[in-house]
Amino acid sequence: MDEFQEILQDFLVESFELVEKLDEDLVELESNPEDLELLNGIFRVAHTIKGASSFLNFDVLTHLTHHMEDVLNKARHGELVITPDIMDVVLESIDLMKTLLETIRDTSEDAGIDVSDCVSKLDRVSGGDGNVETPVVEPSGAQEEPAAEESVAEQEDEPDYENMDESEIEDEIERLLKQRQAEDKAKREAKIAAGEKVLMPEHDLDEDTKESQDEQPKAEPKPTAKPAPKPVPKVEAVATEDADAENEDAKAGAPAKRTPAAVEQTIRVDVKRLDHLMNLIGELVLAKNRLMKINEEVEERYEGEEFLEELNQVVSIVSLVTTDLQIAVMKTRMLPVGKVFNKFPRMIRDLSRELNKKIELVLAGEDTELDKSIVEEIGDPLVHIIRNSCDHGVESPAERAAKGKDEMGTIGLKAYNEGNQIVIQIDDDGKGLDAEMLKAKSLEKGIISEKEAENMSDKEAFGLIFKPGFSTAASVTNVSGRGVGMDVVKTNIEKLNGIIDIDSEVGVGTSMKLKIPLTLAIIQALLVGVQEEYYAIPLASVLETVRISKDEIYTVEGRSVMRLRDDVLSLVHIGDIFEVERILDASDHAYVVVLGLGTSKLGLIVDTLVGQEEIVIKSLGDYLKGIDGIAGATIRGDGGVTLIVDVVALMQMAKDVKTTTMIDASAEGSASNEKNKPSDYTIMIVDDSKTDRTIMRKSLESMGMTLIEAADGQEALGILKSGEHNFDAMLVDIEMPRMDGYSLASEIKKYNKYKNLPLIAVTSRTGKSDRMRGVESGMVEYITKPYSSDYLASVVARNVNFKAEFL
Amino acid sequence: MSDKLKQIINKQSQQQESAVSQTDNVVQLVGFVIGDEEYAVPILAIQEIIKPFEWTRVPQVPKYVLGVFNLRGAVIPLIDLRTKFGLQSKKHTEETRFIVMRHGDDVAGFVIDRLTMAIRIKKENIGPAPDTVNGDETIIDGVGKQEDKIITILKVNKLLERDF
Repeated sequence: MDEFQEILQDFLVESFELVEKLDEDLVELESNPEDLELLNGIFRVAHTIKGASSFLNFDVLTHLTHHMEDVLNKARHGELVITPDIMDVVLESIDLMKTLLETIRDTSEDAGIDVSDCVSKLDRVSGGDGNVETPVVEPSGAQEEPAAEESVAEQEDEPDYENMDESEIEDEIERLLKQRQAEDKAKREAKIAAGEKVLMPEHDLDEDTKESQDEQPKAEPKPTAKPAPKPVPKVEAVATEDADAENEDAKAGAPAKRTPAAVEQTIRVDVKRLDHLMNLIGELVLAKNRLMKINEEVEERYEGEEFLEELNQVVSIVSLVTTDLQIAVMKTRMLPVGKVFNKFPRMIRDLSRELNKKIELVLAGEDTELDKSIVEEIGDPLVHIIRNSCDHGVESPAERAAKGKDEMGTIGLKAYNEGNQIVIQIDDDGKGLDAEMLKAKSLEKGIISEKEAENMSDKEAFGLIFKPGFSTAASVTNVSGRGVGMDVVKTNIEKLNGIIDIDSEVGVGTSMKLKIPLTLAIIQALLVGVQEEYYAIPLASVLETVRISKDEIYTVEGRSVMRLRDDVLSLVHIGDIFEVERILDASDHAYVVVLGLGTSKLGLIVDTLVGQEEIVIKSLGDYLKGIDGIAGATIRGDGGVTLIVDVVALMQMAKDVKTTTMIDASAEGSASNEKNKPSDYTIMIVDDSKTDRTIMRKSLESMGMTLIEAADGQEALGILKSGEHNFDAMLVDIEMPRMDGYSLASEIKKYNKYKNLPLIAVTSRTGKSDRMRGVESGMVEYITKPYSSDYLASVVARNVNFKAEFL
Repeated sequence: MSDKLKQIINKQSQQQESAVSQTDNVVQLVGFVIGDEEYAVPILAIQEIIKPFEWTRVPQVPKYVLGVFNLRGAVIPLIDLRTKFGLQSKKHTEETRFIVMRHGDDVAGFVIDRLTMAIRIKKENIGPAPDTVNGDETIIDGVGKQEDKIITILKVNKLLERDF
């Protein structure tokens, strides 16, 4: 049983792959009915599946594929010209075949699907009377097949022609041999003299003709060497090429170009393993970030030391290799987007027949690669968009003719790279979107208010088509118009951190761009700070950042807004959304991160911009999943956790936040500035050496000031933030563990509240560059050890404006 | 000779069995203090015990969820048991620890005031949870009786269950 399962698995994998290719080939065949290479390819697929399914005793499937094979075989021999009607039947049978394969995949049986209707159609097409006995369930049908298998044995590896008699088979073999020889010959000759060509392929066709004459003629007469009537002009070109017979490639056309793909050396790898690999790389990227950060710190601290250069080299190599490795692993997970595009030629064909429109699909950039998980997700949205374009976009041939357009409408589907993103663009040359009409419709359905409609730009109006419940179609058709599809498109694309951009002109067409990140696991993010917290915003949703002063913020109807060039941008403070406690005062200036999702925009006010960083997305786990506005977390270079903003949710939440208040800068801090006695002055002494602290204490004690000690920068910062004391000055040593004096100074200066707090460096570092750094980080005085206690006291007194009467 | 050997072997195996039955009867717990009470969880549910370090606040969660922290590359929720048990939260001290507990795939860190010790306690010395807190909802697994005190044994799966 296990062995059977294994074979079955292989069979299914192979079959699905074959079928996928089949759709594409068949549509191409319809416009290229004489393409023998194509026909042979399709025939082989039907044949392979038939062979395997009969071996596995899937009688219904065998029965179906058998009849498909008949039709295709006739077509291959030129007894049958593939017309759209025949193609319909063939396509229908392929759909049935897919359904059967899916049933087999799910139940390991092919029972329960009625193929008799389709089979009789096939039979009629291939010249039979349509009365075919169909095996309904396994046992009864099994009767037919063993016979076939016998012939399999007889014919060794060409077991397909059980419907032919002995002589036909003989002919077939001969024909194939001749064809092969002819091809080989043609190839050889093409090599010798690429330019001047002989009649080889024509000979090929002749062979076919002869062949078809041997067998009883069926259906329409086979076109001879220079085929006369062609359904599509495109074929003419191919046929001419045939006659000119440049070489094999020219004759085989597109399929020949695809052939190399089949020879590519590949191995199948379980996706789980790739995922695991991806996770490991994620860890490595984090470690790399951390290493780089440490390197920076070391560089600062040991400036000019020799080993630094070596360290620098190693760090840059590690970082380089990590980046390369990350890209390489990402690539292993990449699939060409063509995998999704493949199904659309067929879909367009069906739709255009169903809707009685003439639509041509132009594909481009199928080779563009995307992460596997994304490829799986974009299929459905694309189906919706293309259906929409067919149904609402492209007009009927009569309408188009009246407008002076080509009757044949065109839908372009192309993919290309743009920076860190993949863009999938869907263009149609249909009637376009009418912004006014969209607004009127949405008003009617109560999706937007009158006021909103008034203030709406055209782009925003186009965005309305993504609103749930919106549909412009006058009637609901089979294809679209239920007002669900586009909403789904938007949600799905946004789930992938992607955005949708619509452009449209009435009467000219619509162009939709889906911008999707290359991968989901590692993204570029903008790190922002609010109070003491940091958040990461996916860079894909960030349009721009602006620095504003508080008086640029206006309040309109209880909402904060600002002018951004010619637009009015609504604002929300990140602190209001994430319930950030406001311990520290905000400065007069703030930064606005302009977030864009499709057509909607929002300004997010943050306190600081930290910078752009590559982050690895980690889930918050089951316990904390589903928190509004948080998409996940990442680990920063310093080992801390930073939350990642879910821009979609955040924009929703912003609607509920009414006013955005920025705390008044000067509320606190200056309150208790009145000094009545020496102990009202509070000085913090920061030094890692107990002795040094004691010396400083001794120097200042005589003045009666309150003295607080801290052993390093971290501790000092902690004491400062706790707010227990109101410091008038700080004496800071430079070299300290955990956080040195420079870092401490720059940390402190970040907070508006401490902008004017005098920081006095007390250090044995006397270099000029040290002094410069001290000034840069915000120190006001620089005292070098050793110093006299009087000097220290006088410097402190000067800086705290120590009142003379206390002395 | 062989009889003697057999006897010895028998004796040994008997000893082993009794040792096994002994361990079967004994539950190993790790005790810790929150507020004035001593609690314990099975030692096997504990992944590690670490000293407190930086964590990141997460918005829109109950107060007892302090946030998330980085445990060697994994992002793990941090829960303050003091607040969860309705006590005033207090500043972390030298004795404060994070206990990282695991049940299946669920992992979380819990802030406790102080560790006591690893406890071996016989099963017969563990009583059921008091009637007043009975039911499926309680996080109390049972009450362990020691000579001089009683210890509340907590259900790790309940502790790790999201209840908001």
